Amino acid sequence: MGLNRHQDERLRPLHIMRLGLIVCVSFGLASCASTKNLVLDTTFPVPLMNKVPVRLAFHLDDTLLSYVYSEKIEKKGQWNVELGSVQTKLFNNLAAGIFEQHKLVATNSAPGLDGVLKPSITDLQFSLPDQTRSDFYEVWIRYNFDLYDSNGNPVGNWPLTAYGKASKNDFSSSSSGVEAAAIAACRDAMAFFAINFTKVPIVKKWFANGKPQKPPAAPSPAESAEDGKT
Amino acid sequence: MKLFIFLIFVVAGLSGCVTSTVEQVRESATGMSEGDAVVVLGRRNRPSQTQTELDFINCISNNMSSGANGVAVITEQDFMDALFPWFEPRTAPINTNELPGLLQQPVLAERLREISLKYLVWVEGSTRRTSQTGSLSCAATPGGGGCFGFLTWENDSNYEASVWNAHTAKTAGKISSEAAGTSYIPAVIVPIPIIARVQSSACEKLADQLKVFIQDTP
Repeated sequence: MGLNRHQDERLRPLHIMRLGLIVCVSFGLASCASTKNLVLDTTFPVPLMNKVPVRLAFHLDDTLLSYVYSEKIEKKGQWNVELGSVQTKLFNNLAAGIFEQHKLVATNSAPGLDGVLKPSITDLQFSLPDQTRSDFYEVWIRYNFDLYDSNGNPVGNWPLTAYGKASKNDFSSSSSGVEAAAIAACRDAMAFFAINFTKVPIVKKWFANGKPQKPPAAPSPAESAEDGKT
Repeated sequence: MKLFIFLIFVVAGLSGCVTSTVEQVRESATGMSEGDAVVVLGRRNRPSQTQTELDFINCISNNMSSGANGVAVITEQDFMDALFPWFEPRTAPINTNELPGLLQQPVLAERLREISLKYLVWVEGSTRRTSQTGSLSCAATPGGGGCFGFLTWENDSNYEASVWNAHTAKTAGKISSEAAGTSYIPAVIVPIPIIARVQSSACEKLADQLKVFIQDTP
């Protein structure tokens, strides 16, 4: 009953093709609801602006630099959008374009400069075309900016909401669509910040008062006691 | 084997009919000098329910820069990066009234001079599937597979290009391009797609007209 050797050799490619088809379909079905890890891979332009006469430092803390938004979407699987890795590029280029002088610092104080800005991402939302019954992948990022004087004394804070969208007609996969919308949202944040920085009431008032610097805050009693022990 | 290859070429060569019209309204004289460049931008202002396809913008740019009377075209992304943040969806000027204010900024005016920009072409519109009828089903079994049925659909393209003169900050004119075509897929075991290249036709017609428009002084 068995096939002779010649027939077996002729049918072997067919068997391999069928096996390949089954494997491909299985992987295809599995990928429908798999985990999607999006890492933004982009560069940001330097804003073309008249520079604001201020010397500011950016404090990008670990929470911002490791920011990952995770959400499980029904029938679409787990989505992890890693936004933290592009924040250094984003704020470096933003500051290079709009401030007279800038640098990145590791604390909320920066002696020799006028102040320190500490951005944080307080919320991120995204939607897929199926969810909104539209043609667009959409991403909203809510930033918060804390402004400190050079000695680390808080001056004020303000929120900034950025939005980006990408048409499903332009992207073949949902991952690339969400990634494009996230990049658009990052650019929107930069654009909005660049154009509106000097119009933010807190900043406006701080500038009008001559960018006052309060003395460094006295250490708390607990900190003093710690220092005394050492 | 030769017959099979011949059939592939015949099928690939089949395409549905497309009807297209191009209309033009001129508001001021145009012309390009040596070194002048053009940029083609898709309208992405918010809120909007539609957005011009990225590949359509690229198609217009590529068609305008090629051919005997091709012009220097700056890519959309390069332009947006060079002029960032002034042409982002949130900040881009909606009409020419906003251009003088922008151009008054020395850094912006200088950058535009650096890239030798003469015309901005704003493109709005999209290609939509307007109707679809018929059905086509395919089946695959370990012993083989095939398709049976008949599918047909109609695509409509509607685009409008507004040409702004970056030197005078005025509208030079508008060109609209409309195209429609019906595609078919008859299938008896093997589906034979007869596709109407509607968007591509709209792109070619619009790009050709834009090239003539911006180089022409009536």
